[in-house]
Amino acid sequence: MATLNPPIRSASSRPPSLTASARLRRLARSYTLRVFAQAVVTVWAVITFTFFLIRLMPGNPVDVYIDFLMNQQNITYEEARARAASQFKFDPDANIFVQYGEYMGRLIQLDLGESITSTGTRVIEQIARFLPWTVFSVGLGLFISFILGVTIGTIMAYLRNSWLDNLFSLLASILGAVPNYIWGLLILIVFGVQLQWFQVGALRGTYNSSLTPGFNLTFLLSVLTHAALPVLVYVLGSIGRWMLNMRNSTIGTLGEDYVSVARARGLPPSRILLAYVGRNAALPMFTLLAIDIGFIIGGSVIIEELFVYKGIGSFLFWSISQRDYTSMQGVFLVITISVVFSNVLADLLYSQLDPRVRVGGGEK
Amino acid sequence: MRRGLFIFLLLTLALALAVGAVGAQEPTRFAGGWPYQLPPDGHFNSYASGVINLGIYWDLMEPPLGVYMWAQGAYEGMLAERFGFEGDEAYTVTLKSGVSWSDGSPVTARDIVTTFYTGYLIGWAVWNDISSVEAVDDRTARFVFKAPSQAAERRILTEQIRPASVYGAFAERAKPLVEAGARAGSADFDALLSELTTFRPEAFVSAGPYVLLPENITDAKVVLVKNEGGLNADIVAFDEVHLWNGETEVVTPLVLNGELWYGTYGFPPATEAQFIQAGIDIIRGPSYSGPALYFNHAIEPLNNVKLRQALAYAINREQNGFVSLGESGIANECMCGMSDNLASVWLSDEVMDSLNYYDYDRAMAESLMIEAGFSRSAAGKWTDAGGNVLAFELIFPAEFLDWAAAAENVTAQLNDFGLEISARGVQFQQQQQDVYDNNFQLAIRNWGVGSPFPGQAYLQAYDRYNGQGELAGEGVGGGMRFPQSVEYSGGTIENLRQLALDSSSGLDIDAQRARVAMLALSYNELLPAIPLWERYGNNPLNRAKLNAPPNGDPVYINAGVDHFMPYLIMTGGITPAV
Repeated sequence: MATLNPPIRSASSRPPSLTASARLRRLARSYTLRVFAQAVVTVWAVITFTFFLIRLMPGNPVDVYIDFLMNQQNITYEEARARAASQFKFDPDANIFVQYGEYMGRLIQLDLGESITSTGTRVIEQIARFLPWTVFSVGLGLFISFILGVTIGTIMAYLRNSWLDNLFSLLASILGAVPNYIWGLLILIVFGVQLQWFQVGALRGTYNSSLTPGFNLTFLLSVLTHAALPVLVYVLGSIGRWMLNMRNSTIGTLGEDYVSVARARGLPPSRILLAYVGRNAALPMFTLLAIDIGFIIGGSVIIEELFVYKGIGSFLFWSISQRDYTSMQGVFLVITISVVFSNVLADLLYSQLDPRVRVGGGEK
Repeated sequence: MRRGLFIFLLLTLALALAVGAVGAQEPTRFAGGWPYQLPPDGHFNSYASGVINLGIYWDLMEPPLGVYMWAQGAYEGMLAERFGFEGDEAYTVTLKSGVSWSDGSPVTARDIVTTFYTGYLIGWAVWNDISSVEAVDDRTARFVFKAPSQAAERRILTEQIRPASVYGAFAERAKPLVEAGARAGSADFDALLSELTTFRPEAFVSAGPYVLLPENITDAKVVLVKNEGGLNADIVAFDEVHLWNGETEVVTPLVLNGELWYGTYGFPPATEAQFIQAGIDIIRGPSYSGPALYFNHAIEPLNNVKLRQALAYAINREQNGFVSLGESGIANECMCGMSDNLASVWLSDEVMDSLNYYDYDRAMAESLMIEAGFSRSAAGKWTDAGGNVLAFELIFPAEFLDWAAAAENVTAQLNDFGLEISARGVQFQQQQQDVYDNNFQLAIRNWGVGSPFPGQAYLQAYDRYNGQGELAGEGVGGGMRFPQSVEYSGGTIENLRQLALDSSSGLDIDAQRARVAMLALSYNELLPAIPLWERYGNNPLNRAKLNAPPNGDPVYINAGVDHFMPYLIMTGGITPAV
C-alpha cells in the first residue's frame, strides 16, 4: 500500500546547500559566463578604441563640410565656416573625454544618437536602412560558397591525387589568392563593358527602380537579379578556402580508424560518406562558418561601391568620407558585436563538441 | 477588288503598327551622373546638410533668378524676367509670369523673400550686402543694400529660389530676427535654426522644368520627371533626366557602356583615351582653377622672392600640365593668381604687358639663383651661403591623381635643376590640414576658383591657405604665412586679403579693375605660390545620344554655379540625338 509520507532521506543523501560565496565561485567558473564576460569587455574595449581612433583621423565633419561648400559653391572660408557652424550640433573643439562620457551614457540606454552630418537622422534608422541588404547579399554569398566549397572539397578528398583533384586544387588556390574586388572589376569590365553580356547600369542598386518593394515574385526576382553580381564575387572570393579546408579535413577523417572499421564492416559507401566522414570532416568547417557569419555585417566596402549595391559597407564608406563620427561608431558597434558574438557562438559550439575545452578552462 | 481590299488592309495594319509604335515610344531622356546620398541621410530640405545633393543639376528643380553668361559678361534671366540696380540703394527683380511650383502654386515674389530670409538662419553672406528684401508686388522683389556691389548682385541672382509653401513659416519667423540683428547664440535664433535643420519635407516642390519624386530615388540613379508648370517646361527637350549615382570610378563603366551620356567628373587621361577610342567626345571647359606649388614662407629661404621667381622659370609648366592631365592640363600663362581666361577680361593691355610670364628658361633661373646668393656645389646641387644643400619636402594629396602627377613632375624638374626635393603623398584631408597648420615646406594645393570675380581667386592664396586658424580664432596654424602687408614695384598693399575681398565691392567697374590689377601685378612679382596649370574639364559627351553645341562653343566657358550643362538643358540647347 502506498504511503503518503515522503521517504525519509538521510542528511548525507541530500545535496549540500551552497553558501552565497560558493555559488559565486561556481558562477565565476562557469565557462559560458566567462566567455560572455570576455565578449562584453572586448566589445567595450573596441568601442572605446574606435571612439578615440576615429577622432584622430585628419579633418572632422565641420572641416569636410567647409571644404564641400568652398569647392561646390565657391564661397569664402569665412562664409563656409559660418554655414557649417549653423548646420551641425557637433562641436569639434569640445573636450574629447566629455564627448566619450556622453556617448557611453547614451549607449547604455541603447541610443546610438543622431547623425552629425544629417541633423535629425537617427543612426539606428541609417543602419536599419542599409544593413539588411548587406546581410542578404554577403549571407547568400557565404551560404552558396560554403555549400559548394564543402561539397567540392569532399569530392576532391575522395578523388585525391586524381587530375580532377589537381585541377580543383589549382582553381581553389587561384580563387583564394585573388582579392574579390579584382573579380568584381574583371566581371564589370570584361563581361559588362567589353562583351556587353549585361547592362552595367541595369544591375546596379538593390532592386529595379520601377518596382515597389513587396513580397511578390517580380520584386523578389529583381532583388535576386541585382544581388547576383555581388554574390557571385563573394562566392568567387571565398569558395577556394572552403574547398581546400574541406579537402584537407576530409582526407584527415578518411584516415581515421573508425572509417576503416566501418569499411571493414561492409557499410555502404554512402552511409560512410554521410555518417562517418562527412559529418566529422565538416565540424571544423562549421566553426569557421560561425566566425565568418560575424563578418557578414561588415559587408564589403569595395564590392558594394563597385556595384553601387547600397549596403552597410557602402554606407560606412560614405560616413568615413564625411567624418560622420556617430554614424561610423554605430556601424563599428554593430560590426564589433556581430564579430565578437559569432566568436562566442563558435566557442560555445566547440565546447559542446569537445568538452575538454570547458574542463580545461576550469569548469566542472 | 480583292487586291484593293488586300492593299487597304495592309495599309491599315501598317498605320496601326506605326501608331502603336509612336504610342509605345520611350520617353526621351538625358543620362548624366552625380554622387548623391540616399535616404534616410538624403532628404529634401535644401537648407540642411544631407540634402539629396544633385550638384549642378539642382538648378533643374530650384532654378536661380539668373545665370551669368561668362562669354557675354552678362546675366541671363532664369526665373527673373527683369533685374537691375536702383542706384546704390536697392536691387529689383521681376519674375517671369506663368511659372508655377510642382504643388500647383505660382512662383511669386514671396518665394524670393522666403528664400533669402530663411537663408539668413544658415549664414548666407548676402546678408552682409543687404539689409532687407521685400515683395513689391506678386512678381517683383526689392533688395535694400547695405553695401551695393556686383558681388552682391551675383549672390542675389545665382541663389536657387525655394518655395514659400514649404519654407514660408521659417522666413516669417526669421524676419524679426534679421531686423533685430540676431545671430547664432541667441536663444530664439538657435531654436529656429534647429527647427530648420531638422525639418524634413515629405516631398520636393520644384519650380524648374523637372521634379524629383520620392519614388524615383534609388540606389543606382534618380529620375527627374517633367514638372509641366515649371520654368521652361515647354522648351526642354527631354521628358526625363536620369542621374546615375557614383563617383568617377563608379560611373566609368557606364560611360564606356553607353549608359551615361554626359558626366562632370575628373577622369584620368588613360580613361579619357578609352572614351575617345569609343567615339565619345570630350568637352574641355575651363575650371578657372588648378594646382599650384605653395611655399611655407616661415622657412628660410622659401621666403626669398628671388628663389621663388627662379623656381618659376625652372619649371616647364606645359610639360607638367600634360603629364598630369593630358590635353586638359593647360599651363597657366599670366602667373598672376587668376585664370588666363579672366586675366584677358579684367586686365588692361598695359597691365598684361607688364606681367612677367615666367616662360621656361633655365638660364634665367640660374642667374636669379646666383643673384639670390645661392651657388652650386661640386655635385651640381644648389647650396646656400652656409653650404647647405637646398633640400625640401613636397607634400601632395595622395588620392588626387592629377595633382600627384604634378607633384612628381615638379619634383623631377626641380631636382634636375639642382635642388633636392622629396615628394610625399599624404591622405588628402591630412595634407590640407598640414597646409592650414603651417606643417609643411612645399605643398601642392589649388589656386583660383570658378567665379567671374578675380578677387575670389586670390582668396585661395590670401585667405584659405594663409591665416587659417587665426581666422577661426584658434590662434594657431596660419597656413603658408605669407605677409598680408607687402611691397612690390607698384607700391604698398596694406592687406592683401582685404584687397581681395574689396576687389569686387562697389559698382564702379574701373575702380574694381584697378584693384584687380594691383592684386595681379603684386602676385605676379611676389609669387606667394607658383600656379602650375589650369584644369580644363574632360567631360565625356556621347554625341550618338545627345545633340549639343560643338566643342569650342562659348557656352562651355560657363563654370561654377553657372555651369553650362543645366543651362543647356533648361534652354533647350541640348537635345536627343535621334
